[in-house]
Amino acid sequence: MTPYGGLAFFCVLTVVLIPAAVLGLLGKSTRGYGILATAALLLAVFDSWTARVTLLAFWALETGLCCGYVRLQRRCGQLWLLLVFLSLSIAPLLAVKLGGLFPRLRLFSLLGISYMSFRAVQVLLDCYDGHLKSVNLLDFSYFLLFAPSVSAGPLDRYRRFTEDLHSVPGREAYAVLLRDGVWKLATGAFYNFCLGNLIWNLWIARLPESGFLPTLSYLYGYTLFMFFNFAGYSRMAVGTAYLLGVRLPDNFNRPFLAADLKDFWARWHISLSTWLRDYVYTRFCMTALRGKWFRGKRTASYLGYFLTMTLMGIWHGLSLHFLIYGCYHGVLMGVNEALDTRWKRFKKLKKRPVPRVIMGIITCHLFGVGLLIFSGRFF
Amino acid sequence: MIDTIIEILNGICGADEGEITPDTELFEEGILDSFGLVQLLVELENQMKVKLDPAALERVQLSTPAKIAALAEK
Repeated sequence: MTPYGGLAFFCVLTVVLIPAAVLGLLGKSTRGYGILATAALLLAVFDSWTARVTLLAFWALETGLCCGYVRLQRRCGQLWLLLVFLSLSIAPLLAVKLGGLFPRLRLFSLLGISYMSFRAVQVLLDCYDGHLKSVNLLDFSYFLLFAPSVSAGPLDRYRRFTEDLHSVPGREAYAVLLRDGVWKLATGAFYNFCLGNLIWNLWIARLPESGFLPTLSYLYGYTLFMFFNFAGYSRMAVGTAYLLGVRLPDNFNRPFLAADLKDFWARWHISLSTWLRDYVYTRFCMTALRGKWFRGKRTASYLGYFLTMTLMGIWHGLSLHFLIYGCYHGVLMGVNEALDTRWKRFKKLKKRPVPRVIMGIITCHLFGVGLLIFSGRFF
Repeated sequence: MIDTIIEILNGICGADEGEITPDTELFEEGILDSFGLVQLLVELENQMKVKLDPAALERVQLSTPAKIAALAEK
């Protein structure tokens, strides 16, 4: 059963969410029930025994690594130990991605492994930084496998997630969560099923596979489809999480109103872009500045963007088009950074209405070209 | 503390004297970006031996010089 993919899933979801809503409206904690609900939804989504056993093995590995690392880290906080645990943690993800590239090496596949692996990596990094002193087995398992966002995010943060688990919102606050959650579920379904499917069936599916004008039309259609499909999915995931008492962060914030590409990425797939910003870009730049790696300080930023966006590209898969998609955004983010720092008028222009609209249109087109590469239409 | 932070910010962002006040919204006004924040945090480490981890903080907690000073003084 595909998450948010059809009537059967929504029937199961409704049955599972009603007791959570009753508990919340009575002012009781939804943590215990939420764990049971997640187990039930996982059984429905991972509907073959192969998928269930693979998920169980993945959960055992990641839980063992995170709970083990938090204990070992107290005695040995050295970088090499972190690198060993990080390598083991992303090994299943790499195996799946390599299997996608070379079918002969394909050992297994697992829905949502990219997201679940990033959740585990985040916990390991937070332990290394000293922000997490302990990891509760049940909370970690719930965080790692949280059913509303298990397959495609949004990516939450462990400490924020557990704060929600251990604070009961109360009747009135839960009523607001319930109202907002139902609204997000309804609008998300409208985005995904009505608008996304309409764009796909009436626009994209009818386009010829080659030619300049069909490709141009595909660029606009695919950009809009990706937005409504993914933003719709994310809204449904956030809405479901609200009903379980978890304030999962929003993933989109009117991206087509962005003034430049940096602004666009702050509005599109926000949970992934902020994850990469905090755990890759910032980490790389701070290390580079502390170690005085480069003569020009901004070099660290250009390289940081390239590294971060390339990683973002191959996180989607090890195919050539994902690699080029990542590199393309890495270069564009560098150009954006250069314009911000070297051309003082750029920042001022972004604040004036007409130039901002023009820059916004250019930005949307640049992002659309990126999605065209991402779609695999060219190679 | 707040004066030092504003001085560092002036140096990083090339801002004019008085442009950045304790309550200036640094990200909203487009004064500070991700790399500017990294530079500020590294300078705070070097000059004042204060360590702030951006991954452990929300942007809203670092949005003005006054908020940054309050965190650094903790």
